Amino acid sequence: MRFPMFTLGVLLAANAFAATPEETVRQAMAGLAPNVKIDAVQESPVPGFYEAIAGGQFVYVSKDGRYVIDGSAYDVANKRDLTQSSRARVRKLALDKVGPDKRITFSPKMPMTSKHTVTVFTDVDCPFCRRFHEQIAQYNAKGITVNYLFYPLSIHPGADKKAEAVWCSKDRANAFTAAMAGQDPGKATCPNPVPELTQLAQSLGISGTPTILADDGTQIPMQIATSPDQLAAELDRLAAANAAKN
Amino acid sequence: MKFPRFSAFVLCSLVFSAAYAAESPTDAAARKALQELVPQAKIDKIEPAPLPGFQQVIIGGQLVYVSDDGKYLLQGTLFDSQTKRDLTAARLAVDNKLKVDAVPLTKRIVFAPAGKPKYKVTVFTDLDCGYCRKLHSQIADYNKAGIEVDYLFFPRSGIGSPSYDKAVSVWCAKDRKAAFTAAKAGANPAPLKCENPVAEQFTLGTQVGVDGTPTIFAPDGTKLGGYLPPDQMLARLESLGKSTLPVN
Repeated sequence: MRFPMFTLGVLLAANAFAATPEETVRQAMAGLAPNVKIDAVQESPVPGFYEAIAGGQFVYVSKDGRYVIDGSAYDVANKRDLTQSSRARVRKLALDKVGPDKRITFSPKMPMTSKHTVTVFTDVDCPFCRRFHEQIAQYNAKGITVNYLFYPLSIHPGADKKAEAVWCSKDRANAFTAAMAGQDPGKATCPNPVPELTQLAQSLGISGTPTILADDGTQIPMQIATSPDQLAAELDRLAAANAAKN
Repeated sequence: MKFPRFSAFVLCSLVFSAAYAAESPTDAAARKALQELVPQAKIDKIEPAPLPGFQQVIIGGQLVYVSDDGKYLLQGTLFDSQTKRDLTAARLAVDNKLKVDAVPLTKRIVFAPAGKPKYKVTVFTDLDCGYCRKLHSQIADYNKAGIEVDYLFFPRSGIGSPSYDKAVSVWCAKDRKAAFTAAKAGANPAPLKCENPVAEQFTLGTQVGVDGTPTIFAPDGTKLGGYLPPDQMLARLESLGKSTLPVN
């Protein structure tokens, strides 16, 4: 059997009905994960693919909508993890929208000025979050400003209430430090950003605490972040690498 | 650029040995891409992927996809949104089945139902792993559900480790199955040595993508993953081949 050649009319018609990238991705995902929320769709650096965020995860969808890859893309020549770069970019954009009225910030004290800022998704009842906060003075002394965002995990029942109680305290920073040292923050309630930040974390594919993100959205591995010296060095390195790129 | 048509020489070599067919430009590009990114990778196979414009490369029981020009590499699970199939798992299953099926009965420790089994799974196991022990404590229930369990040893800490020595001792015991069950219940097997397949099975495990224990393979070579209770294992085995896909 032979197919007729495309006529100009067919081409025009096909074009008029061409699915948008969003529709293509939605249709492709519908068969695989019907309930998944598609957060974003954009051109992928890999030719022939859209890069989409579905349920906080990166997926690559062929432009004809037929194939979906749940995984990572690499640029071979530049040895770059393209997914990691995209993830960092998306996270940075999202974090930039979180105002100071939703964070608890610990800044370097004079005469030390802030050289770097990290955002830490944290949970009052997570042991590694507590260990991180024990060293807050050292991080600040290295010129690192720490912005905490609450992300109480469901595996810690009651942690969301504690987060709210801390948030609703008169002296938020002190209440936070006390709660991180194991003190009961009480039961205060008030309008608070905890549910919104929890949702934000999930939409960014953040599944654990503490999750530590650099200025540019890059996730810093816990092994590095637990040491104030190593974290400072890593942030210097990232800043230099970004400066070289721009 | 145009590639020359098949020459008489290429045709001859195809006739004489398909295995030594000349490497295609896309193969070479994929090989080069992998050497750039993972210099220590041992490539088992390079072949056209179901994804148009890509080659698939099998390395140590894993699959990666490399664009024909060698510029991009995709690592992850490839789904066909029309048939709802996991093409990565399906492809790996084919090779895994061949490799797992090649282990003769004489080198397995078999716990089979009384009647004809409905399903036969191959389980890579470690005598000292908690979920492996849990699985074996329910061996009668798997058998009752019609599932034959064939064990192969995969001492996680490697060849020469204490768990490896235990596996050898169990293998060399007079009553192998009784020694196996006793060791699974926490008994220390009497140290024994003899000719045994433990090291060979450990190596096989690394080739079929065993990354923990227990790792369960279905009869069609599909890696089912870790511990599953008897009823869930049966459900998974029954649903294999159907095109419903548990994603996310």
